Amino acid sequence: MKKIRKLPLSDLIFALISFSAAFVVLTLIFSTIIVLYNESSLAIHKFGILNFIFTVDWDPVNEVFGAAASLYGTLVTTVLSLILAIPLALGIAIFLTEISPHILKTPIGIAIEMLAAIPSIIYGMWGLFTLAPIMAEYVEPMLQKTLGQVPVIGILFQGDPQGIDLFTASVILAIMIVPFITSIARDSLNLTPNIMKESAYALGATKWEVVKDIMIPYAKLGIYGGIVLALGRALGETMAVAFVLGNNHQITTSLFDAAATITVTLANEFTEADTDIYLSSLFYLALILFVLSFVILAVAKFFLLKAERGYSR
Amino acid sequence: MNTKDIYKESPIVKRRKLISFFALSLSTAAAIFGLFWLVFILFDVLRHGIQGINWELFTEDPAPPGIPGGGLRNAFVGQLEIVFFATIMGVPLGILAGTFIAEYARGTKFAKTVSILSDIMVSVPSIVVGTFIYAILVKPIGHINLGGVVAVGFLSAIIAIIFGGILGFIVNKLFSIKNPATGRFINLLITLSSVLFGLFSFLYLMPKLVDKIQGFNGWAGAAALAFIMIPVVLRTTEDMLSLVPWTLREAAFALGASYFRVIKDIVYRAAATGILTGVILSISRVAGETAPLLFTSFNNSYFTMNMNEPIASLTVTIFNYAMGPYEDWHTKAWAASFVITFFILIVTILSRVIISWKYKG
Repeated sequence: MKKIRKLPLSDLIFALISFSAAFVVLTLIFSTIIVLYNESSLAIHKFGILNFIFTVDWDPVNEVFGAAASLYGTLVTTVLSLILAIPLALGIAIFLTEISPHILKTPIGIAIEMLAAIPSIIYGMWGLFTLAPIMAEYVEPMLQKTLGQVPVIGILFQGDPQGIDLFTASVILAIMIVPFITSIARDSLNLTPNIMKESAYALGATKWEVVKDIMIPYAKLGIYGGIVLALGRALGETMAVAFVLGNNHQITTSLFDAAATITVTLANEFTEADTDIYLSSLFYLALILFVLSFVILAVAKFFLLKAERGYSR
Repeated sequence: MNTKDIYKESPIVKRRKLISFFALSLSTAAAIFGLFWLVFILFDVLRHGIQGINWELFTEDPAPPGIPGGGLRNAFVGQLEIVFFATIMGVPLGILAGTFIAEYARGTKFAKTVSILSDIMVSVPSIVVGTFIYAILVKPIGHINLGGVVAVGFLSAIIAIIFGGILGFIVNKLFSIKNPATGRFINLLITLSSVLFGLFSFLYLMPKLVDKIQGFNGWAGAAALAFIMIPVVLRTTEDMLSLVPWTLREAAFALGASYFRVIKDIVYRAAATGILTGVILSISRVAGETAPLLFTSFNNSYFTMNMNEPIASLTVTIFNYAMGPYEDWHTKAWAASFVITFFILIVTILSRVIISWKYKG
């Protein structure tokens, strides 16, 4: 494209206005990290970085704060929800690209994406009033009877199932992130050139072999991107988790215990923080969450861009 | 003769077929399982929500805690107000920035940076946005409210842009200017007057807003939602503008139109449906946000339209009511959830239908 050399005044003005809008957007993004750092500087100076991350205590009375419990909760819910969501989401994506009758593809695709449109507060409420009782009544005791008896992983299923715990939170998160993985995986799978699929069929491959050996390797980068994007989403989810996690600052081995994530801690305690160091520590948590999700989302974006470039070649 | 009889299936082929059948059945089951959750959630919201829907829900303010009756008028009005101001702040900024990176800065490093960063910002945890807005618009009580000053400056800039746009439009409609020199002069006058107008609105709004705002306030809630809308609107605008064929612009350039005119009369017109749909989608996205409102607009159990005060929103009310101890509160929370969920679903489906009708058909 050629640059237009002489700009009329109206152009100059409009270019200037739209440039300042773009500049404001950039400034907003950068000022987020600066402001968060500035607000948390008190806690950063008092607790340091590694010390803060590895301290389990969260004691507003004695003004000792550490992120370990919140980080642990965030980590466990995110990883568990990914473990639950990935197979389901990939299965749906394969169904939508290869199995579903043509006429059903769009309605089912939209229906799955509707899961992403439901506000997280609805998930939270539904989780608290409907899913948690079901979990406590049926699913968790059942898991205890089966997986709980297995020697090593049995530790994960100890305790008295209440429904308000890490496991329920992860299940809700998994439902929430399925549409993100599904829609990106479906789009990537759809981009597999027909000629490659046809060649494989001509060699006598079954449909599953085509999916497994041709389409998934081809769509690999896109699928990774979708998964990492979902990871970033799960990390920052607040309301859905806030209802069913119980805001309990402890590190537990059992999935059937109440816990806290960074987001839940922020949501529950931000308005209650009465001392400067308390508030500053909360900002510190927000900063950690921001940096963490920013990096993860950047990685996701990297995969997706790379995938895009690969497909267009 | 049957084709099956031509060759005998070896056990290996049989096994492969069986595996294929099994795997594909599993993935069909996954799709059914996924749909099951959607139906489960929607049905549950419908079942519980419908019991709480009545006329009083929309027309009455909440009764004192524990006493049945009353409604959520304050939350409905507050929600509308917050989302309205968020839209006013976020949409023009998003569209303008999107226009800049898709048109004037097309293909440059700057455009790519903004585009990628906004893509990341679309998915950044909304609660972090809440903490950021809290730090700049809620926390500074007593000493100089720098964030407030910036926000008012920002607001007056938008007012100035809108004012200039309207003025230019009126002048264009009333007088047809042939002489380019006069045209330029008049453009300059319009610009100067809108800059002055913006300055005056800044000076006028400053004492009205910044000094009056104490702690949690509706403006902060609207700003937080606007923050979330901006990247969404920006990316949609960028995508929709790049869908407009470059030849269309060239045709207009060939007629001697300035780039501004091309954008205004050709590109925007061609991309209008797409941009509008993006705006609607971004509104429906922020309409269900709770986390950024928790400590910006906070909550208010009384009816208020004053954005300088804490203001109730549907989502925060749902959170508080659902966590609360009263049965009546739970019913109301479900009813509010019902309203918000089906509003968002209908808007989302409608805009998807519009997009597919416009861009695929």
